[in-house]
Amino acid sequence: MAAPPLAPLRLRALTKRYGAVEALRGVSFEVASGEIFGLLGPNGAGKTTTVECILGLRRPDSGEIFLGEIDALAHPEAAKQRLGAQIQSASLQDLITPRQALKLFASFYCQAAPVERLIEQFALGEKADAPFASLSGGQKQRLFLALAFVNQPSVLLLDEPTVGLDPRARRELHHTILGLRAAGRAVLLSTHYLDEAEQLCDRIGIIDSGRIIAVGTPAELVARSTALPRVSVRTTRALPAAVLAELRNVAVLNQAETTCLLATPDPQPTLAALVKTLPLHGIDILDLRVQQPSLEDVFLELTGRMYSSHGDKPEASP
Amino acid sequence: MIPRALLGHFLLTLQLNFRSKQALVYGYFVPFFFLIAFGSVFHSERPLLLHQMGQLLTLTALGGACFGLPTGIVAERERGVWRRYQLLPVGTLSLLLSTLLARVVIVTSAAFLQVALARAIYGTPWPLHPGETALAFLVVTGAFLGLGLLIASLADDVPAVQALGQCLFLPMIMIGGVGVPLGLLPAWAQQIAGFMPGRYAVELLQLSISEPRGLGHSSFAFLALAVIGLAAAVVGVKLFRWDGARRLGRAGMAWVATALLAWIAVGAAAAATGNLRSRLLAGTGYEAITPEQIASIRYDDLPGDDELYTRLAPPFKTPERPGRLGEIATRFKTWPPGQVDDPEQRARNLLSIAAIADVNQDLLEGEIARVVFDQLQENFSSDELKKILAHIALAPNDGKVITQAREFGLKREILEKAVRERSMYYAKKLLGRLVGKIAE
Repeated sequence: MAAPPLAPLRLRALTKRYGAVEALRGVSFEVASGEIFGLLGPNGAGKTTTVECILGLRRPDSGEIFLGEIDALAHPEAAKQRLGAQIQSASLQDLITPRQALKLFASFYCQAAPVERLIEQFALGEKADAPFASLSGGQKQRLFLALAFVNQPSVLLLDEPTVGLDPRARRELHHTILGLRAAGRAVLLSTHYLDEAEQLCDRIGIIDSGRIIAVGTPAELVARSTALPRVSVRTTRALPAAVLAELRNVAVLNQAETTCLLATPDPQPTLAALVKTLPLHGIDILDLRVQQPSLEDVFLELTGRMYSSHGDKPEASP
Repeated sequence: MIPRALLGHFLLTLQLNFRSKQALVYGYFVPFFFLIAFGSVFHSERPLLLHQMGQLLTLTALGGACFGLPTGIVAERERGVWRRYQLLPVGTLSLLLSTLLARVVIVTSAAFLQVALARAIYGTPWPLHPGETALAFLVVTGAFLGLGLLIASLADDVPAVQALGQCLFLPMIMIGGVGVPLGLLPAWAQQIAGFMPGRYAVELLQLSISEPRGLGHSSFAFLALAVIGLAAAVVGVKLFRWDGARRLGRAGMAWVATALLAWIAVGAAAAATGNLRSRLLAGTGYEAITPEQIASIRYDDLPGDDELYTRLAPPFKTPERPGRLGEIATRFKTWPPGQVDDPEQRARNLLSIAAIADVNQDLLEGEIARVVFDQLQENFSSDELKKILAHIALAPNDGKVITQAREFGLKREILEKAVRERSMYYAKKLLGRLVGKIAE
């Protein structure tokens, strides 16, 4: 029987230390072809250091990085031929045009995509010959994504690609990223947006304090959670204690004036009881929702801390 | 493929430069402004600006290399352009090289424009040795680009580039012989200038532009620029940061100290090899010579009196000169070039006879030189002669020299360059005796 094909991106036991700070403590994962792997964690968790190690911007203290059969630490330039990346705080000159940038970057690779096709694929035709400074935020991000795609890479690294984008541009970019998966690329998406990770990623690795603390599909991760579904109800008056006492298998998580948050293993009977009981007490329901356990709950359980997209400590740098 | 890509990067860098109004102002308008300013300041000289073109071209190279280059690189680094370049399958050094080459083209085009405009506006002659001027300019630009690269590596942001650039620019302008001509500076400033690359840049360019002898005998200036430029370039590459967030540590500062050591080494070598001689402003007469300038002249590079070159016989024991020497001494009394009104030219003409006899390898070359010395001492007071000889030693290319003297039995015509060099040596030999630094 033939051996299974090597995953396009494989990390083994990466460590990186900046002085006294351990930024990475044995990070390992793989990304398969046609898979979007999300690296999720608050700022300072080690996402950017991981991405920068893969890109050759930083050298890990120990560990292995393979792109297919290529040892990226031993042959960084060969690895870069296979790697496309869109990274944070990278930009272009104000006066360069998208067409010029794509032509320049394409010229450095053995297998470059035709520039005109990239312009069309990433909807840059209208601004192809306009100065970079005149592009909107969404157009700039699409150009960076086109630049990441310029060498037709087998592995794409996207580091916080939607930061700073308006909702429409963000949706467009999500659509493009899903298209990359359909084209069979291995995509590593580093993000601190939980909803984005949940929506786009086939698998997610949760990173915290330099360690991957959980890996799985979003559904698997949530299923591992012991958190209960929550029922949120907003009413015209505060819920009397007597009403809450009548509800079975319910714990009151929070009650603030006319809004009440309840935890229950079985939301259906709770919803029915609320709908039936409250009118009898002369209370109208303004809003009633059920929230299933989320990645946020998973993170809370794994780390003992609330997930904060701003992080609780900055990522160290040399 | 990579060379083609780097050519693409080089061409794109040029295109972006020519699209930027700011780059055009700093790259071309500022050199034009300096041209007009120099034209106004030195308006009385003829040919106008001929003796200032070395300074002007040095200013252009200095501005383009020490401000233009690092400003461009650091601005791009601040934006994250170099962070993006770092993802390409090519080393940073290659991209730096294409950036530097683009800057050479930009600076050279500005210099060419400056020379052409000087010609068009002021009638300044074309450089005497255009090929040597091009070579000198490339060496000067290369050395300054090394410094520019170092600034780019050290500066965290564009304002820091301006601050570091001024730290180099202003001293070289004020006391480095680039803005204020070296000859106008006091002796102490001229000594300090010997530690700065600007002095050697101006020297090389000016020699190739206006001096008949061209770049011959200027190997020290080449070496000085090469050492300073290479040291800066090596340290600049070593410390280059593609990401502005990365800071230089103590090791980085040690590297910077190494680059600065090159300046000190050059200055020390210049002092040790007599290359820190005071310079005189072109066209300045011997009357302006100061006692400090006379005292700054060194004699340890002179050939001995019995050696092959510039032989000199001991003083005559009696007033009578035997045979042919007597005829030469007598002829000096009526020889027209020995009677011209200009005292310094008269002395140069007399020293030319000693120089021609020396190069002709005349049997009496040492004795003829001694007759010339006697004639000079008879012609001038001691103080005046000291100033004249010092001026000839410091400005050997001023005035005119005689290259043929058949009337003294010296058959062969000698190259002007050789006559000037030997005249300078003889001037120093006599001056050394007059000031008591050389014993008979």
